Amino acid sequence: MSQLLYGLITGILFGFLLQKGRVLRYEKQISALLLKDMTIIKFMLTSVSVAMVGTYLLVDLELAKLSIKSTILGANIIGGLLFGLGWGALGYCPGTSVGAVAEGRWDALWGVAGMLAGAALFAELFPAMKASVLTWGNFGKITLPQLLGINHWFVIVPFIAGTILLFRWLEKKGL
Amino acid sequence: MRGERYFKKGEQEMSSDGKPWNPYLAGALAGLVSIGSVWFAGKYFGASTTFVKTAGLVEQLFSPERVAQMEYFIKNTPGVDWQSMFLVGIFVGALIASLTDGSFRLQGLPALWEERFGPSIGKRGIIAFLGGTVAMFGARLADG
Repeated sequence: MSQLLYGLITGILFGFLLQKGRVLRYEKQISALLLKDMTIIKFMLTSVSVAMVGTYLLVDLELAKLSIKSTILGANIIGGLLFGLGWGALGYCPGTSVGAVAEGRWDALWGVAGMLAGAALFAELFPAMKASVLTWGNFGKITLPQLLGINHWFVIVPFIAGTILLFRWLEKKGL
Repeated sequence: MRGERYFKKGEQEMSSDGKPWNPYLAGALAGLVSIGSVWFAGKYFGASTTFVKTAGLVEQLFSPERVAQMEYFIKNTPGVDWQSMFLVGIFVGALIASLTDGSFRLQGLPALWEERFGPSIGKRGIIAFLGGTVAMFGARLADG
């Protein structure tokens, strides 16, 4: 029960911020894909940078555990390509589509219905995927620091430095 | 004349979009929320698993025996969990934010879409539905 409550409260805070950042809009999502308006990139990379520092601090202090997904090149690449195609056509992504409906942009409902259909379709085809695409280039649960053989902070700090440089460039270009 | 002026698209967009926050600020706060979630609930943000579990719930209405035998629904048990409530929360949070700053607007066709593809609701519906289907299939395949 408390897990459900945690989920609800976390979602309310996150949904509020997504809406305030104006990243739920079709226009914002498509303009990011067209490289014309980087609002979403700003929101996303800032969020990732802050969360990365905090999460690894918690992990270092043994207050949290990482949840790492397997790297399966075939599935990641083909899945990513499909996701991009669908995202471009829909103009909303899975989590933000419900937020878009909430701010009245009800065309996102078509997308929610389509995504339920897509999930059902994947469940049907899962046995076939498991025997094929999901075996292509399976590297297991690897991370960048582990792959490079260095402490995670040597990845985090350059990542954030790169992000700041990107932001400065975006602001200079007026994106 | 006055009405015409008020309904010009660009102007309407400008005048009633409430008070957007700086995306860096909103993003940084969202990052803090995700840290809190990992700390207090041990949960990382995600959305697409919920679509699987909800699709499973819907399919159970028609053929529970079939769902019980499907490997993917054994892996992802249909039901309501932390992540489902996270998505409900996103809905509530976005609703509160948009209603309180006046940026809520009932709109079945994004302006950018209409400019490029015309005013047909059906066309938008079909493309959005198919887009959602392909996007979710990809997301589940990549396990994202």
